[in-house]
Amino acid sequence: MIASLARAAWMVAGHWRWFVRVGVAVALLQLIAPAPPRAVLEPPQTVQTQDAQLCVHTRLMEEVDEWKIQRTLQIVREMGAPTIVEFFPWAYIEPGEDDYHWAAVDRIVRHAQNQGIRIIARLGLVPAWARPNEDERPTTLNELPVESFPDFAEFVARFAERYAGQIDHLIIWNEPNLSFEWGYRPVDPAAYIDLLRVVYEAAHRANPGVTILSAPLAPTLEPAGSPNGMSDLLYFEAMYEAGLADVSDAIAIHPYGFTSPPEAAPGFDALNFRRAELLHDIMLRYGDADKPVYITETGWNDHPRWASAVTPSLRIAYTLDALDYTQREWPWLQSLCLWVMRFPAPTNSYPDGFTLVTPDFQPKPIYDAVQAYARGWSPGGALWLSPPG
Amino acid sequence: MAVAARLKLRRWHWIAAGLIVVVVVMLLLRATSAPDKPLLPAGALRVGVDPSNPPFAFFEDDQIRGLEIDLANALGDALDAPVQLVPLGFDGLYDALKVEAVDIVIAAITADPLRTADVDYSLPYYDDGLVLVSPADHPIAAMDALAGLSLAYAFGSEADSEAHRWLRRIQPFTTQPYETPQIALDAARLGAADAALVGATDARLYARAHDDWPNVRQAVMHTPFVIATSARHGRLAAAINEGLQQMQNDGTLDLLIARWLGGA
Repeated sequence: MIASLARAAWMVAGHWRWFVRVGVAVALLQLIAPAPPRAVLEPPQTVQTQDAQLCVHTRLMEEVDEWKIQRTLQIVREMGAPTIVEFFPWAYIEPGEDDYHWAAVDRIVRHAQNQGIRIIARLGLVPAWARPNEDERPTTLNELPVESFPDFAEFVARFAERYAGQIDHLIIWNEPNLSFEWGYRPVDPAAYIDLLRVVYEAAHRANPGVTILSAPLAPTLEPAGSPNGMSDLLYFEAMYEAGLADVSDAIAIHPYGFTSPPEAAPGFDALNFRRAELLHDIMLRYGDADKPVYITETGWNDHPRWASAVTPSLRIAYTLDALDYTQREWPWLQSLCLWVMRFPAPTNSYPDGFTLVTPDFQPKPIYDAVQAYARGWSPGGALWLSPPG
Repeated sequence: MAVAARLKLRRWHWIAAGLIVVVVVMLLLRATSAPDKPLLPAGALRVGVDPSNPPFAFFEDDQIRGLEIDLANALGDALDAPVQLVPLGFDGLYDALKVEAVDIVIAAITADPLRTADVDYSLPYYDDGLVLVSPADHPIAAMDALAGLSLAYAFGSEADSEAHRWLRRIQPFTTQPYETPQIALDAARLGAADAALVGATDARLYARAHDDWPNVRQAVMHTPFVIATSARHGRLAAAINEGLQQMQNDGTLDLLIARWLGGA
C-alpha cells in the first residue's frame, strides 16, 4: 500500500509540466486584463476653506481601488474640509503577532498629504491572535482581554512612531459605553481607563508630539446595569472617576442630532446635538475644561423611513446651523467631523442616509450645501422642484 | 512486466491517488464543520431585530411591532419554538450573531459578500429595490420606454443615480428631482411627471395611502432582504429557508407583506 501511495505521489509530481503551463496561462491572462485606473499623485494641494474646524469621517481602509481613495480625498478637499477621521483597524494592520502590514495606511497617508488634508486616526478592532481562543467561545473583533492591553499599546506605539509628524492625533477605541463595542461584554469605564493608561504612556514614549483622544461615547439613554450599554453621561463621569484627566490629551465626542435642531436644549434624557454641553459640564466639574474637544462624529440622517431621520432639507438646515452654533458658542471645540463622507458600498439601509456622497461619488444635496458654506460660496439654486399641485 | 500487469498496477495507482484525495477532502470538511448542537440552544428562537426601522420593526406602546416581527413569529411557529426578540442597533447586528446572543437576524439587511465566511443568508423574504411607478392608464413598462417622457425621483437618492445611469443609455428624458420619494410619487399621480422612480416600500406605502390611484409598478433594481444566521449553524439556516419556502408557497409571506405595506 505504501509503495502504491508513493507511486501515486510520484505520478502527480510527474505532471509538473502541466502546473507550469497553467501558471504561464494565468500570467498571460493577467497581462491582457484591463489595468485598474491609476492613482497618480497630483501636484500638492491645499484645502481652501472658511471653516477650519470642518472635518469629515471617511471609510478608506475598506477600499480596494487606490483611485477611489484618491477621489474621496479630492472631494473632501473640494468640500473645504481640512481634516478627516479615518478608522485604522489593528486587525488589518497586524493580522499576526509582530506581522505588520502598513501598505494600506501608507497609501491613505500619501494621498491625504497630497490633498493637504490632516488625518485623525481612530484605532481599534482586535486581531484574532490577541483575542480569547475562538475554540472555547466565539468572540467579536471588539473584545480585548486585559492580558492583551500591552499588545494593543505596542501597536499604537508603532503606529504613533511610524506616522509621527503625519498623523499626530489618535483616538483610542470607539464608543466603549455600548456592550457590542466592548466585545459584547458588560461595559466597564474603569477597564477602559486602564487600557487608555497603558496606551497613553506607550504612545507618548513613541511620539512625544502625539495627541491622545479618549474614546468617543455613543449617545444613549441606557441606564446603568443595562445589558446593552450605559448612558454616555454616566460613563463619562465614571471615566473621570477612574482618572481620565491624566491619561488623555483631548476628548472625542459623538453628539448626533437625531430629529432635533442643533439649538434644542440639552437634558439628561434628551438625545440631541447639545448633549455635548453636558459632557463638557462634566469636564468642568473635574477641572479638565481646558482640554480640547473634538467632535469626531456627528450629523443628521435623511433616510426616508428611519425613525431618527429628518428630511433632506432639514438635514441641510440643521447641519449648517450646527456649524454656526459651534463656532459661536463652543470655544473649546477643535473640530467638527460629519459622519460620513461615503461608504465603499451601499448598506441598502438607513445608514446610507448619513453619507454625503454616494458610493459612485454622486454628491448629495448635503455635500453641496456644506461645500458652499465652507468655501464661502453663495448657496446654489434650488436643488429640487417644488411639490406639484 | 506484461502489459496487463502494468495496466493493473497503474489502476492501483489511480485508486490510491483517489483515496488520498477523498481522505484529504473529508479531513477538510471535518475541520470546517462545527460539532452537532441543538437547533435552538436557548430553547427559543432568539431574533435580533432593529426596532428603529418602520414599518419593518419599530416600537409602539413599548412593544416591538412590524413586518419583521410578524415574520419572526411565523418562523417561530414553523420551528415550533417560542420567539424571543432581541432589540439591537444596526451596527451591532452581526456581532450579536457572532457571539450567539441571537440565533438569527431579521433587520432589513441584504447579503454582504464580505461576511459569507461567518454568516449564512436565507432566501429573500422581501425586495426593496427600485420600482418604476406610472399611472395605470398610461403605463410605462420599463426604463428604456422613458425616452422623451419625464421621470420624478428624490434628489440624491439611489433613484437619482439610477435615473442618470439610464440617461447615458437611452434617448433623453426629462429628470424631475423632488425632495422626497413621496413628493416624486405625488408628481406621477398628479400628472406632473410621467412616472416616478422610488424604492418598493415607498411605492407600496404610497399606493396604500392613495388607493384611489390605479398605478403600475415595474421592478427596475432588486434589493432583496434576507435573514442572517451563523455559518457555524448550518442546520438552522436550512430550517429557516425551509420555513420561508413554505411561507412563500402557501401565501403566508405575501399576506404578511400586504398587511404592513399594502398589496403588490
